Amino acid sequence: MTDLALESVSHVYARSGVRSLDDVSLRVAGGERLALVGQNGSGKTTLVRHLNGLLRPSAGRVTIDGADADGYTVAQLARSIGLVFQDPDQQIFAGSVRAEAEFGPRNLGLRGTQLRAAVDEALDAVGLSAEARTNPYDLGASRRKLLALASVLAMRTPVLVVDEPTTGQDVRGVAVVRRVIDTARAAGRTVIAISHDMEFVASAFERVVVLRAGRVILDGPPSAVFAESSWPALRSTFLEPPLAARLGAQLGLQPTPTDDALIRALAQ
Amino acid sequence: MAALAVTLAAIMLSGVVAPLLLIGVGVLLPAAVAGVVRELSRIALLLSLPLAISVVLVNVFFFPGGEAVLLRVGPIVATAEGLRFALEILLRLAAISGAVVLFYLTTRPGDLVIDLEARGVSPRLAFVVNASVQTVPTMVDRAADIAAAQRARGLDSEGSPWARVRGLLPLVAPVVLGSIAEVEERTMALEARGFTRPGRRTLLWRPADSRRQAVARWLLVAALPLLIGLRTAGWLAWLG
Amino acid sequence: MLELDAVTYRYAGAPRPSLHEVSLTLGDGEVVGIVGASEAGKSTLCLVAAGLAPRTVGGTLSGHVLLDGHDVAPLAMHELAERVGICFANPATQLSRVTATVYEEVAFGPMNLGLPRGDVIDRTGAALDAFGIADIAEREPARLSGGQQQLVAVAGLLAIRPQHLVLDEPTAQLDPAGTQLVAEALARLAADGASILIAEQKTDLLAQICTRMVALEAGRVALEGAAAEVLADERLSGLGVAFPASVRIRRLAEAASLRAPQRDKLAAALATMGSPI
Repeated sequence: MTDLALESVSHVYARSGVRSLDDVSLRVAGGERLALVGQNGSGKTTLVRHLNGLLRPSAGRVTIDGADADGYTVAQLARSIGLVFQDPDQQIFAGSVRAEAEFGPRNLGLRGTQLRAAVDEALDAVGLSAEARTNPYDLGASRRKLLALASVLAMRTPVLVVDEPTTGQDVRGVAVVRRVIDTARAAGRTVIAISHDMEFVASAFERVVVLRAGRVILDGPPSAVFAESSWPALRSTFLEPPLAARLGAQLGLQPTPTDDALIRALAQ
Repeated sequence: MAALAVTLAAIMLSGVVAPLLLIGVGVLLPAAVAGVVRELSRIALLLSLPLAISVVLVNVFFFPGGEAVLLRVGPIVATAEGLRFALEILLRLAAISGAVVLFYLTTRPGDLVIDLEARGVSPRLAFVVNASVQTVPTMVDRAADIAAAQRARGLDSEGSPWARVRGLLPLVAPVVLGSIAEVEERTMALEARGFTRPGRRTLLWRPADSRRQAVARWLLVAALPLLIGLRTAGWLAWLG
Repeated sequence: MLELDAVTYRYAGAPRPSLHEVSLTLGDGEVVGIVGASEAGKSTLCLVAAGLAPRTVGGTLSGHVLLDGHDVAPLAMHELAERVGICFANPATQLSRVTATVYEEVAFGPMNLGLPRGDVIDRTGAALDAFGIADIAEREPARLSGGQQQLVAVAGLLAIRPQHLVLDEPTAQLDPAGTQLVAEALARLAADGASILIAEQKTDLLAQICTRMVALEAGRVALEGAAAEVLADERLSGLGVAFPASVRIRRLAEAASLRAPQRDKLAAALATMGSPI
């Protein structure tokens, strides 16, 4: 299980001078399921790009299992950190679903039966096994997104980072994403997701970190982050707590970030 | 238009003095008026440097029929004629790149397009010109994002030359495929706003075109056939 | 009134039609929501309603699309553009990229239509005000946030003053702030009596603004009716559509056999919070 840490990380984009991360310290233990939320521009994407070396800190350091990430190239870090980008069309280049899913594990040195097994498992996890020979552009946009997810899953990295996995997905697509996250967790992998969907965040993750203007303003379990005391902080960055949380507060109950929590609290 | 005229003139004239004059009048003077002399010099220099270097090297050392020897480097000889020829070419190159950069720096793409359209060019053609200019920065940004996504999947961009060549497809294909996929949607968005309506559009404004600009423009354009005529008649030899 | 009458549409080269015998009416002042699984035909329906299919996109259409009772088949795309406006999910592709300011971007449509200069200026000003973006009129469209770009896109459509507006997942790529911006703008439009056809995954958003809903499954109409009814219909999840949060919670309460007093408390709380369903 791989531990991650950001230690007083700041990041300033050289060209624009914009400070996108401001003295952020964060520890993520191996196997955690963490959701990163915040408006566009709050630093979420910048933060996750520091995890695999795509961006390097202007100050502070990033460590993977205690080792400074600075000593490793992005290709090396890709063995530990699998990052799925939000726009699948930014990476799709192969003529078939299978070939696309093979790219990542191939780069990591997998061949033969091992490669095949990794790709089969990943395609199965997202429900694209039947379309292994299909051209990715013959799939709809939401299934291409699942393909992008599969292509990183096949790399079997100890840490999985996904950017906006449920955006553009229908109910079935969201169910696939949830299953993938649960399976990863069961296998001891760390899952970090950037998401705008507060209900998904509250129900699928144990820890929620809220960013605003490059700083962490809330960090805790959903019951704390979506409790009434946190609402001013959330609303200051245009985030609304899930309906269940608001109903629970309206009814004077203990924090109820999810539908299930609300119903359980009412049943008592 | 001025830029075009200067470029053509630069090609026409021979010798050293003429191009110098041209640079002075056709390029530096308007640049000074527009306040972009420094920027212009910087960009023009950057643009022409690679070409300039090869021009100098080739001509100084390999000019056929050169006799007045300046320098010997083993079997290779630098001649005065070669140097002079190189100088002539360099000056014309400077005139051309200066003119092009001047155009780029002093014209807003939108203005050019609106001006063209106001003079009767089809709006759709004008649009193509404009949109093409905008495409490059967009594609460059996209390319950077694509490179990041592929590197995150282990693409080794810091390795051997062979590895880098193999890495080209995953880098280039999404740029092309993505651009193509985007074209359809962008076309639809344009059509949804009446872009395909035949005929002219209502233009809200036209770029300012003072009398002075118009006069200067016509002078330059008139000068061109004049120069051609004079050159052909052999009357400009003294400038060389 | 925009009407689809038993429309079957097949993309060029596709083995099967994407829409099959779909009939739909959008009356003046109505807001009709379209829901369905991915690839159920929502986007295709929007393209057909706006006339881009079959005109720009190609393909074959049988059945009829009617505007105020007249078949639109003989109309060219630019003629339809004046009467039905369409907005897509990707904010950046809506921009023409040939305008330097938001003002020019919004004026793009009226300019294309060759309207008299005074009209162009009036309409642009009105559209900017309607969306509250007059304060960013001088900004560069490419530098705006996604939500702002979508507002500019819709304002640009409105400046054409079409009778009907079609929106294909307009908030799909927006963050919560952007979604809120667009949702509020749409709610205002709906309140002002605009005719809107909107496809979305976000059923909470649709619950707020729609009067009627149509659910698609594999290119056919599976459900239709008043918004409140369709959004609470138990068949929705089988169609790949998420219930609005309030419906979801109520259903969970029933499934957990919550006692009546508790369910009533829940209902009362929902009502106090102004939940539309």
